[in-house]
Amino acid sequence: MSVSMSESPAKEEYTDDQRYEVFNREFMPQINSMYNFAFRLTNDEDDAQDLVQDTYMKAFRFISSFEQGTNAKAWLFRILKNSFINDYRKKSKEPSKVDYQEVETTYNSDESGEFQQHTVDLRADTVQDMIGDEVANALNSLPVDFRTVIILCDIEGFTYEEMAKILDIPIGTVRSRLHRARNLLKEKLKNYASSMGYDAR
Amino acid sequence: MEVPSNTSELGSKDGMKHTCENHTECMKMIQAILDGEASEEEKEHFRQNIDVCIPCIKQYHLEKCIKESLSNKIERKPCPENLVNAIKVKLQLL
Repeated sequence: MSVSMSESPAKEEYTDDQRYEVFNREFMPQINSMYNFAFRLTNDEDDAQDLVQDTYMKAFRFISSFEQGTNAKAWLFRILKNSFINDYRKKSKEPSKVDYQEVETTYNSDESGEFQQHTVDLRADTVQDMIGDEVANALNSLPVDFRTVIILCDIEGFTYEEMAKILDIPIGTVRSRLHRARNLLKEKLKNYASSMGYDAR
Repeated sequence: MEVPSNTSELGSKDGMKHTCENHTECMKMIQAILDGEASEEEKEHFRQNIDVCIPCIKQYHLEKCIKESLSNKIERKPCPENLVNAIKVKLQLL
C-alpha cells in the first residue's frame, strides 16, 4: 500500500461528517498499535497515554492531508514519532546521560555507510529459552533510535519503504540502522544471558 | 555463504565451511531475507549457499529466533479504555 506523507492540505477538504467518518474508520482501529509504540518509546504508561492522545488530536486537526486509501497506520506512526521527538524526548526523565550516549553511538558509527563486521557469540537456543520480559528489557535498554527501527520492523511489521517515510531517512539508512540495532540487541541479550548463566558452554 | 575458493577452506570431511570470509556481506543478506526485503539475486545466492557455511547458518537461525521472539513474545498491551474515551470526548465523538 502506498504511503502518502505529505502534510500539505489535500485539494479537496473533507466535510465535517467525512472527517469523523475517516477518523473512526481509518485511525481508531490503529489505537492499540499506537499505544504499544508509544509505550515502547517512552517506557512509561502515563507518557504513552499523553503521547497517543496528542497524536490523535494532531491527526484529527491535519486530517485533510491524509489521503484516503493510503496507509493510515504509517501516517499515524509518523506523527507519533515526530511528537515524541519534539515534545517528549526533551523532557526525558534521564536527560544528558542518555542523550550523550545516543549521539555518540549514532554518529560515531558512520551509519550512512557500511555495515560493520560483527559477531556476537550468542546461541539461538538461548534466545529461544528467554521469556518476553527478558527480550523486552534488552530492547528497552537500546538508545531510542535503534529501539525504534526494531519496533517498526520486527514488532509492527513495516516494510523498509514505510519505515523510511515514517522516520524521514533514506532506505539505505533504514538498513544500516537496523543492522546496528540488531547487533546492539544481540550484545544486550548476550550480556543478560551470561549474567544469568544461560549461555554456558 | 561465499563459495570457497580453494579446498583448504573446506571442512575436513563434511564439505562445510567453518569460517566465513565475507560475513558482513552475508549478514546484510540474511537481514534482508528475514525481513522479506531481499532482491531476487540475493534470494538466489542465499538458496545456493546457505547450506554450506556454518557461521552463516548459525547467524541465520539466531537472527530468525530474535526476530520471532520480538514479534511473538513481547507483551502487547491493549490501549486503556479510558484513553479511547478521552480521545472521543475531546473530539466530541461521543
